[in-house]
Amino acid sequence: MQPLLSLYAKSAFIRAFELHIAVAAEAGHVPGLVHLCCGAELVEVALCDLLNGPKDQVTGSHRSHGLALAMGADATAVAAEILGRKGGLSKARGGTQHLSASGNGFLASNGIVGAQVPIAAGAALSAKRADAGGISAAFFGDGAANQGAVLETMNLAVALELPLLFVLENNGLGQSTSTKYASGGADLLARADSFGLKTAVMNGHDGADCVKVSADITGYVRTSGKPAFIEAHVPRLSGHYFGEKADYLAHHEANDPLADLVEVLGEKACASVRADAEKAAHDAVSDALNMGEAPPEDLGELTT
Amino acid sequence: MSEKLTIAAALNKAHHQLMQAEPRITVIGEDIVGGAGLDGSELGGVFGVTAGLGERFGKSRVIDTPISETAFVGMGVGAAMTGLKPIVEVMFCDFIGVCFDQILNQAAKARFLSNDRIDMPLVIRTTMGAGDGSGAMHSQSLHGMLAAVPGLEVVCPSTPADAAGLLKSAVASPNPVIMLEHKGLYGVSGDVEAGLPPVPIGKGRRVHSGTDITVVAVAGLLKQCEKAAEQLAERGIGVDLIDPRTLHPLDTDLILASVEKTRRLLVVDEGPHYGGFADTVVSAISTSGFRHLRAAPQKVTPPHTPTPYGRLLEAAWLPNCDTVIRKIDEMMYEN
Repeated sequence: MQPLLSLYAKSAFIRAFELHIAVAAEAGHVPGLVHLCCGAELVEVALCDLLNGPKDQVTGSHRSHGLALAMGADATAVAAEILGRKGGLSKARGGTQHLSASGNGFLASNGIVGAQVPIAAGAALSAKRADAGGISAAFFGDGAANQGAVLETMNLAVALELPLLFVLENNGLGQSTSTKYASGGADLLARADSFGLKTAVMNGHDGADCVKVSADITGYVRTSGKPAFIEAHVPRLSGHYFGEKADYLAHHEANDPLADLVEVLGEKACASVRADAEKAAHDAVSDALNMGEAPPEDLGELTT
Repeated sequence: MSEKLTIAAALNKAHHQLMQAEPRITVIGEDIVGGAGLDGSELGGVFGVTAGLGERFGKSRVIDTPISETAFVGMGVGAAMTGLKPIVEVMFCDFIGVCFDQILNQAAKARFLSNDRIDMPLVIRTTMGAGDGSGAMHSQSLHGMLAAVPGLEVVCPSTPADAAGLLKSAVASPNPVIMLEHKGLYGVSGDVEAGLPPVPIGKGRRVHSGTDITVVAVAGLLKQCEKAAEQLAERGIGVDLIDPRTLHPLDTDLILASVEKTRRLLVVDEGPHYGGFADTVVSAISTSGFRHLRAAPQKVTPPHTPTPYGRLLEAAWLPNCDTVIRKIDEMMYEN
């Protein structure tokens, strides 16, 4: 499959997966709230395609279903974890915001905005010590860009020369607050520059750009052993969480990057790929639903 | 073969032994090598615990960090999740306020949230304790607060052998372990076996035997209780002094067995008067050993305020041998 079509196939699968999760949530099958990643697929797939676990490790935010899938985590186990099912990655101890498939290179997602970024620095330190060419990547949103944990880690990664890729997915919103309002100095890339990080911009609507920038920047981190920073512009196509009363979104412009990619590739090429993705996502989520909820006995012997 | 070492020296020796034996151990913190970016000589840590490590094991394993606790504690968390065995030093436990998320939400929860698929062999060493004029933000004793976080193991050594031995067990644990070292005890000497044998986490020790009252204490105030026990013995009052050494998991069996014998319980602790480690011990023993008690359990702690600075103020704030003796006399007189 040619690279852009492959990018579309994987992205379409993540999109379909999230929409099936949304259906399950609506039907009351999710214990709490879910934060869907719709809109960020091209960026996440393009980058994760160049990262290979367990040598490479990725950490993500509360909005990380797609990252776990893009790193190759078993889709049924991811769905089961989100749905609180016994076959979940962590047998439903973690849930939607605490996914982990480190064997696939998805180290952990996080319920605390920005907290995943210093953890990725630790994975980068391990990779540096292992000296086998591994790197780590921390994905975070513009909301996290103002967290001390993120800013501190940008400094630390430069000071200690860690092979760490910072991926700022700027969707213009932190929950319902706009970046323009929340960020002193609207240019978040300039901040990274000021720490001495190599920086790049990625257009999350342009599949070819995502693929090219991903190759350049991961190549840089891998060969130099130094940190780098990407600002990826992505839309957020759904609410902060699914089902949110999100009137504010009416004022937030958001085109669908998958539709943009279909325009490039042509509907004819995409239709069957999309149908396959839809079927695979449907199967993963329905298999997870059929597992039944994780029973209390699974708590078993708890550590410490 | 044993030798006399201070706590600081025993900890230093334990670091050397551990790092020699296990290449994954990586020591991370502020000024632990010292002089980074300058041509000067190494500092070896504020209390000398990490002396010589940088020179012997190299700066890829002994990492001086920016003053950036969230970033470097978080780095320790991530490194522990991916195969290293980090020992992270937070210079004063007061600074845990700066990086608490990485401890409370990240280190403490990673094993649980991964259903034990991810180990967290992270050791955080930090200091505790008042009595040296350091003021309210360099004098706290936050062991009880940390022990209240599910997922953390918390130890407070009070002898050189325990300090070295608990560090060894901490490094071997798949759980995050926080070791609080009392600043006032670094210079205390004691016999240490040459191999620095591990001291199991979760096991206390009897420091002084007696049949009249059980006293539970850790770290700095344990030393005051030892003095009190010796003085009271001369007056015929037998103190059964227990050093739990680990706050969580607590050696409740040892304390309970002691209380069964003495039927009185006093907890002496430098942590807070409200919701502190003293309350945890009183609760644990009252709920499971109420029938053994002939008197209400009591506690001696500082007043529930920040640590004051002035010499006389701090001395009045911090319990000592005399405070402990007065409380024991009171308990013996009443019941």
